[in-house]
Amino acid sequence: MQRPDPKHVRWAILASLLVLWEVVPLTGLLPELFLPRLSKTVGVLWADLGIYGAALMVTLYEVVLATVIACGLGILFGASIGGIAVLRDLLLPVFSSLYAIPIVILYPIFTAWFGIGPQSKIMFAGIYGFFPVMLSTAAGIRTIDPQFLLAARSMGASPVQQITKVIIPASLPTVFTGLRLGGALAIIGVVVAEMLTASAGIGYLVTLNRTLLDSPRVFAGILCILVLSIAYDIASRQLERRMIVWQSVGKRQQTTAAQPAAAPVPAPSAA
Amino acid sequence: MQYVADVTAGQDARAAIEIDRVSHVYAGAEGGVPALEDISMRVAPGRFVVIVGPSGCGKTSLLMMMAGLRDHSAGRIHVHGAAISKPDPDRVGVIFQEASLFPWLTTLDNIEFPLSLRGLSREERRRKSEPMLSLVGLSGFGARYPHELSGGMKQRVSIARGLVQDPPVLLMDEPFAALDEQTRMTMGHELLRIWSTTRKTVVFITHSLTEAVYLADEVYVMSPRPGRIIDHIEIDLPRPRTYEVMATEPFGRLRERIWQQIRRSQ
Repeated sequence: MQRPDPKHVRWAILASLLVLWEVVPLTGLLPELFLPRLSKTVGVLWADLGIYGAALMVTLYEVVLATVIACGLGILFGASIGGIAVLRDLLLPVFSSLYAIPIVILYPIFTAWFGIGPQSKIMFAGIYGFFPVMLSTAAGIRTIDPQFLLAARSMGASPVQQITKVIIPASLPTVFTGLRLGGALAIIGVVVAEMLTASAGIGYLVTLNRTLLDSPRVFAGILCILVLSIAYDIASRQLERRMIVWQSVGKRQQTTAAQPAAAPVPAPSAA
Repeated sequence: MQYVADVTAGQDARAAIEIDRVSHVYAGAEGGVPALEDISMRVAPGRFVVIVGPSGCGKTSLLMMMAGLRDHSAGRIHVHGAAISKPDPDRVGVIFQEASLFPWLTTLDNIEFPLSLRGLSREERRRKSEPMLSLVGLSGFGARYPHELSGGMKQRVSIARGLVQDPPVLLMDEPFAALDEQTRMTMGHELLRIWSTTRKTVVFITHSLTEAVYLADEVYVMSPRPGRIIDHIEIDLPRPRTYEVMATEPFGRLRERIWQQIRRSQ
């Protein structure tokens, strides 16, 4: 039996989830207070498009700035810690243990310092996303094959060229994994922070409507965040694929290599 | 026994490589660990020289010193009349045991890497790299990435990269050690073909005595650590060499002599 295309399967799963979302409340399997119908949710979203649009812009603005902070600081600290042995020995264990702390516990401090406006969300989510970026940048630089640098030096690469032509491209795949995770955590950080203490944003709308027991409007907010997260994931994957061409070529090659003759070794041409 | 090199002090412009009483001591407790002791050798231009010796005898260190990639404690190394203190790709190309190709670059871009460090234009780079690609028998593979190539092909690319700046000297650190036996034989044969068309001076390090005798004009045998040169053997087998030479009696005798030297030194 031929295996179905995974892409089709993924779309089929998504479609059936959406259908279930409509059908399950309709049949009364779940009361509409717990799960309002998809059509009702979309209808509410459409009716309040202005409110949700404005809230989404606030959330998006916070996410973008938080991501910039997370990636900027993460790459800066990660490169320093990964590249300089002294810093690595001193700081890496510290940062690694800090990563295990549920940082949300510190959110009250953020509101005390930065208020309940966007600043506290940006700072909180920025720090939240900072750790994976920093750790994977450090790992990416630390795990570069020293043979690459030796070869580059033998070919006359200056210290600057070793950084631009070897260290950066060699660490890019690992760093990018961290950037994707950092961006995702920035979204989570912003939404969680908005749900805790805020006066604007999607997270705020969800909490507000929850206290009003207005399920369709809660789910409309959830739908907004779902779309935002999925869009972010697709965009970052595309960007990664474009920036790290050689890796996606590798994947393509591995799937096609299943065919009989992978690149034949050329017969040594006789002298 | 101690091999005494007939090296006159001072650089000799006619020698491609001149190593004069080089020693090296690794820093450590109690005055450090001696790694190389009083190494002298002189390689004439266009010669194929092989260094053999047991693991850890310091032969790779010696090669890295010739490449300007590692310091030595005492003595002098000259390549074509000038002292080597840092890597100089115009004089010396290095080929490593692991092909050490950059996985993010295609075959052609890998070959052109040393040229791109010099800021050569794309056309100039292509003009130099394309002939190298066909020299090593990989025409048509220029757009492939390293993980799409076999081990032997990777080493071919690595050789092309070492040759692209046309340095007179090529240093090879066990370049075929990671390959299977058959590929290794083929690559040795290929290397002789490439060498005979380019006439580079080659210093080649290997564990394999068969490979040493098959490839070399002359073989240096090193002792276990601290590495000293304990024998220098002329390989006067006729060229071009074919695989059949390995079955001949003179080949066996030369191989046996090297083996006896290594065994006696341990």
